[in-house]
Amino acid sequence: MWGRVVEIMTAVWLAASPFVFSSQSDPAILWGDLLIALLICILSGLSYWPPTRHAHLLILLVAIGLIAWGRFAVLPPPPEHQNHIVVGLFLLMIALIPNHASQPPRVWQTTAN
Amino acid sequence: MSIASIPAQDIDRPVPPYSHNPSAWSQRIPICLLAFVAAAISSHLALYQWGFIENAWDPVFGGASNRVLKSDTAMSMYRILGIHDAALGVLAYLGDAILGFAGSPRRWQYRPWLVILFGIDVIPLGIVSVVLVVLQAFVVGDWCFLCLVTAGISLILVYWAWDEVRVSLTYLWIVWKRNHSKRMLWDAFWGNRNDELDRSAEELLSREVS
Repeated sequence: MWGRVVEIMTAVWLAASPFVFSSQSDPAILWGDLLIALLICILSGLSYWPPTRHAHLLILLVAIGLIAWGRFAVLPPPPEHQNHIVVGLFLLMIALIPNHASQPPRVWQTTAN
Repeated sequence: MSIASIPAQDIDRPVPPYSHNPSAWSQRIPICLLAFVAAAISSHLALYQWGFIENAWDPVFGGASNRVLKSDTAMSMYRILGIHDAALGVLAYLGDAILGFAGSPRRWQYRPWLVILFGIDVIPLGIVSVVLVVLQAFVVGDWCFLCLVTAGISLILVYWAWDEVRVSLTYLWIVWKRNHSKRMLWDAFWGNRNDELDRSAEELLSREVS
C-alpha cells in the first residue's frame, strides 16, 4: 500500500502549502488546498477497504483538476499555483500504483482455477 | 496446460530470449536508484531556475550552466509549461523510479500496462529529453554539465529498461498471434486472467534462450 501512503503524505504537504507559500490570506487557495487534501485522504483511505479498493483511481481526476487549476487560474502561475501543477503531476503517477503493488494481482495469486 | 502447472509462487522465472527475468527486483532496483539520482540532480537545477540558489554547480563549463538554465529557450519552456523544465525533469525521473518499483517480479505478464507505461516514460521520453539537451547546446550556444549528466543517465535507463518492455510486448504479440482477438489482447494488457493467457505466457517461457 505504499502508493496510498505517499498519496496521504502528499495531501499533508498540499494542506500545509498555503502557509508555506504565504497565500493563506486568499480563501480560494486556503480552502481549495485544504478540501482537495481532505478529498485525497478520503480516496486513499477508502482504498484500504476491499469494497472500495479502486477509489485511489479517482485521485487521477483530482490530479488533473489540480493541474488545470494551477496552470490556468492565474497567468503566469505564481508559486502557489506552480505547486498545484507539480503536486498534480506527481499524484497522476502515484494514483496509478496498485494497492499491493509488489504482489501479483489478486486473480493471479491462486494456483487453482 | 492447466493453470496449476504454473504455480503463482513461481514468478521469478527467466524469460527467453534472456537467461534472466527482466522484471526481477535485481533488474529493477538499479533502475529506480539511478532514476532517483537523476531526480536529485534535476532538483538542484530546478532550485537554481526557481532562484532558491545562486548558481548551478558546474565544474566543467563554469557559468555556462547558468546561462543555459536561464536562457530564452528555457524561459519560453517555462511560459508554456507553467513550471520550470528542470522541475518537469524531476517529475519524469521520479516517474521512472515509481513506475519501475511498482509490480511483482512477473509484472511483464501480470501488469503489462504498468510495464508499457514505464517503458513510455523511460524510452521515448528519455530519448526526446536527450535530443532536447543536445539541441539546447546548439540553440543556446552553451553547455550545461549536470544537464548532460542527466541526459547520460536517461540513456543508461533506456538501455536497462528495454529488456522488460520487449518481453512484455512479445507476450502481448504472442497473445495476439494465437487468438487474433482484441478482447483477449485487452485482457492480457490489463492483467486479467484466463487459461489462454497462461498458455501464451508458457509459450514465451518455453522458447529457446538466445
